[in-house]
Amino acid sequence: MNKTTCTNLLVGTVRRAVLNLSQTARPAVAPYLLAFVAALLLPFAAHADKLNVVATTPDLAAIAREVGGDRVDARSLAKPMEDPHFVQAKPSFIVALNKADALIEGGAELESGWLSALLDGTRNRNITAGAGGRIAIAPRIEMLERPRELDRSHGDVHASGNPHFLTDPENAKIAAREICEAFCKLDSASADFYRDNLGKFTARLDARLADWRKTLAPFKGARIAAYHNTWAYFARRFELNIDLFLEPKPGIPPSPAHLASVVKTMKSDNVRAVIVEPFQNRKTAESVASQTGARVVDFAQHPGGVKGTEGGYIELLDYLVATLAKALNAK
Amino acid sequence: MEIFEIIRMPTLATCLLLPGLLVYLGLHVVKREVIFVDLALAQVAALGICIALLQHHEPNDWQTFAWSLSLTLAGAAVFAVTRTRDRVVPQEALIGIVYVVTAAAAILVLNKTEHGAEGLQHTLVGDVLTVQARDLWHTIPVFAFVAAVHVLFRKKFLLLTFEPERAEAQGISARWWDFLFYALFGLVVTSFVRIAGVLMIFSYLIVPAVCASFLVQTLRARLLVGWAIAALASLAGLYGACLPAIDAPPGPAIVCALGIVLVIAGAARALRNRVAREK
Repeated sequence: MNKTTCTNLLVGTVRRAVLNLSQTARPAVAPYLLAFVAALLLPFAAHADKLNVVATTPDLAAIAREVGGDRVDARSLAKPMEDPHFVQAKPSFIVALNKADALIEGGAELESGWLSALLDGTRNRNITAGAGGRIAIAPRIEMLERPRELDRSHGDVHASGNPHFLTDPENAKIAAREICEAFCKLDSASADFYRDNLGKFTARLDARLADWRKTLAPFKGARIAAYHNTWAYFARRFELNIDLFLEPKPGIPPSPAHLASVVKTMKSDNVRAVIVEPFQNRKTAESVASQTGARVVDFAQHPGGVKGTEGGYIELLDYLVATLAKALNAK
Repeated sequence: MEIFEIIRMPTLATCLLLPGLLVYLGLHVVKREVIFVDLALAQVAALGICIALLQHHEPNDWQTFAWSLSLTLAGAAVFAVTRTRDRVVPQEALIGIVYVVTAAAAILVLNKTEHGAEGLQHTLVGDVLTVQARDLWHTIPVFAFVAAVHVLFRKKFLLLTFEPERAEAQGISARWWDFLFYALFGLVVTSFVRIAGVLMIFSYLIVPAVCASFLVQTLRARLLVGWAIAALASLAGLYGACLPAIDAPPGPAIVCALGIVLVIAGAARALRNRVAREK
């Protein structure tokens, strides 16, 4: 029995109870009581029928939309400008997870802090571990920075490696393929449609990737600073060195002593750009930039995290490449 | 229906069952006029959690609870020792200072902890939406124990709070029983702060007690009215938080609901006084 039938049944029961009551007690009360109860129930009306896809982060949701087109309703739990390491649990998340036909997660412990609490106690069999609707991308990815020793004294170290793998377009292709496989199994009637979309997305991505490599080619080997270690995969793909961080250890806010040493390194290595994301402290980046003559570059790992990137994954990468090139070109 | 799927049993237990003890303790706290003791002690408990996190413990480890409890008991001892009636500087000043300093210390501690800013918000907001049954296995026995002690020694506790002169005349050691009161109080706060957060604990302690004091006089009546108000505000807060337009963590929503109930209770009392005067 689905939720719509359940709701109708409950409303029907309440209506019958109220009508019975009205025949024995004060009749004038009944319609008001019914209206009151209906008003209470109204905000929780059920939704339409597409493949309900929930992604933990907006980049995964964007790729799901590329593959699924208008046959899926994809939403992201984390918002584009939010820190994906920490997302405040909201009632609407539980609603979305209960209705989901599929749950897409990065799966490299980026979401582990907040996702497991939400999933604990869900009755939705589609998205429990091992179910067909539970899609984790990380197992298919060649992970970077797997730590040899697991010790929280090194900061917020992720055991499976650096979880921000979607910053590399090649990994986005792998993710899209994985998502397409899952969609085809869940909705075999539309399998051709999904595979067709996958082909189109991959082709577009390959074409743009050639342009992006050309744009960033002049800066091969350049050292770039960033607030957090988000860009390791992006750096590898475009042969840059984004390995100088304002955080002394992952997740720990920049301290004055550490920033002083970063400034010193930036000067000696001619670091010309400092990458910062929307949820990070831009003033810290600006301070470092002003002391070294570098530019602050506003990056985001999610479509919509910066203005002009709402269109999707490819639009986001277009923006990132163009913005970085402009900053590195500036005198 | 969706709201019943969003609000699970542990959340209901947290919002409807456990605050019962807080309402009772709140009546004591309001009468003793040490309103901010619970805010200060909740903040001290939160500082204990922050220190444990700094040492790379998980929120559910026994070390976290130990840190939290020891700091809270130390705070309780301080408040018990400094409660005298003939003082130039009111105890409230000390309590306010403890609150502010521990809050600042928590920020400094979290500054060295990964994702500390979120940790700070967490100590205020709590975890009401996603609290699990296993989180409550520790909390419910603690509450039951404290409730049992209060029932057992209710005569002494009630005397000390509501008739301190008679208690002194009877030779009851105020310092010792005060410390016991604050220690039990600290135990309750410590075990609840990680689930409910500082804001919700303070609100459950004070607001139903204040509303009840507006409306009725005897202890029993105030307890019943207080429980009813806490339950009403909890349900309203939970419902409001689940509305798609609001879609917020339930903790702060319940605090706001308690605030609204307070306004209504205050208005009811003002109205009743005016009606009485006009008779």
